[in-house]
Amino acid sequence: MAPSETAPSAAPPVARLIEAFHRLPGIGPKSAQRLTYHLIRMPREEAEEFAAAVLGVKDRIVLCDTCANLSESPECVICGDLQRDRTKICVVEEPLDVVAIERARVYSGLYHVLHGVISPVNGIGPNDLKLRELLERLRDGSVTEVIVATNPNLEGEATAMYIQQLIGPLGVSVTRLARGLPSGSDIEYADDTTLAHALESRSEIPQRQVDPTPGS
Amino acid sequence: MTSRRPVTYTTDGVVVRVIDLGEADRIITLVTPVHGLIRGVAKASRKPGSKLGGHLDLLRHVSVSVRETRTLHGLSQVSTVNGFRGLRDDLDRFSRASYISEMAERFSVEGGANQPLFRLLVQVLGSLEKAVNPEMVTRYFEMRLLQLSGFAPELSRCVETGVELDPADHLYSPDRGGLVSSEARPVGESALLPASLNTIKLLRFLARTDAGHADEMKVGEDENRQLSRILRAQVHHVLDRGLQSEAFMDEVRARPGNARL
Repeated sequence: MAPSETAPSAAPPVARLIEAFHRLPGIGPKSAQRLTYHLIRMPREEAEEFAAAVLGVKDRIVLCDTCANLSESPECVICGDLQRDRTKICVVEEPLDVVAIERARVYSGLYHVLHGVISPVNGIGPNDLKLRELLERLRDGSVTEVIVATNPNLEGEATAMYIQQLIGPLGVSVTRLARGLPSGSDIEYADDTTLAHALESRSEIPQRQVDPTPGS
Repeated sequence: MTSRRPVTYTTDGVVVRVIDLGEADRIITLVTPVHGLIRGVAKASRKPGSKLGGHLDLLRHVSVSVRETRTLHGLSQVSTVNGFRGLRDDLDRFSRASYISEMAERFSVEGGANQPLFRLLVQVLGSLEKAVNPEMVTRYFEMRLLQLSGFAPELSRCVETGVELDPADHLYSPDRGGLVSSEARPVGESALLPASLNTIKLLRFLARTDAGHADEMKVGEDENRQLSRILRAQVHHVLDRGLQSEAFMDEVRARPGNARL
């Protein structure tokens, strides 16, 4: 979009910044203007810090040689952590998925970032993903389980199937994240596939001793 | 007098494209019977608790409420008519269904009602779920789509001379949209594809059968290859280019049940 379309009366540097923000995903013209005017009112030191952070990401972030996650060095923090369980690899679509799973603090294994998902209608096939690198990691036999954590939609499922076919013959166990009803949702609005998965993956409610004495 | 469409309406549709938008929204493209291709935003559909997300996935036949705007429409109140589960746990069927849905999308236009195309899409996705011969169901879709779009291949007469064809091996010209007698070699013709007598019989059968009978067809390897080349070349010619999903479909077909890089 031309700067003049974004803010016809804005000075050229302001219009340029609005345009730059507008190019970011999820930022509309109004949000771009708000962010720009917020930056203009910001103290110079904060603005410099912001600019340095943007440049720092571009200058210093690379893909980890092992897992293809974003990293400051050829080996990311997770791959370099010797305390982690090196027999498990969790395969995710994007680096943000690593952040989401780490936030849950329940997984202590390693990761592998595919940087996409098989999407035939968009012309994205297996060779466009970091699958070759995943195969390389499995060659020494130390990994016993690959957890496929692609999104539970059609393309994520297809990618999971492809991974299963690809690495199944290596004798590595391939598992998939459980699918079903999300916490806080209504069964009434669930689609048939979600309900089917939820029923297939149902589990027994653990027995607990209940004290029959009222008020105790 | 022209009647104005309502601002909000409910329609059936098959989801043929999904693009992430912003933090949690998606742009959904649907092939619908009355309104043609519809592009709309499903707000917050990527959030786990969304009422829309599970329904608005690729290759789902849904009923959806559409609120028209000048740009992208708003989508709400979605329910699944048919989730085509059989396409979701088989890589070969998934790859073919992707190819079929991309073709349906490319042959559709926004606002252009096309009930026969919609019915064909729903019927073929349903057939593909349980098909014994998914290859022939795919060929059937190509043939029917060409017919419905006014590009039915000429299979009785030579497109060069107009003479009725003998029961023999001939050639197929995607540029001219039909069979060319083996004796009539058109001048300056670049792509002529071989069409054996058996392939011609199969093409004629596909032109007048339904998906169920196409699924029951027994086809040899050579005829299968010729059929595929002829119908795909004809689709390419009509669309002026190939389809994105073809590469993956071919890859899966070449190594069934055995993915390799």
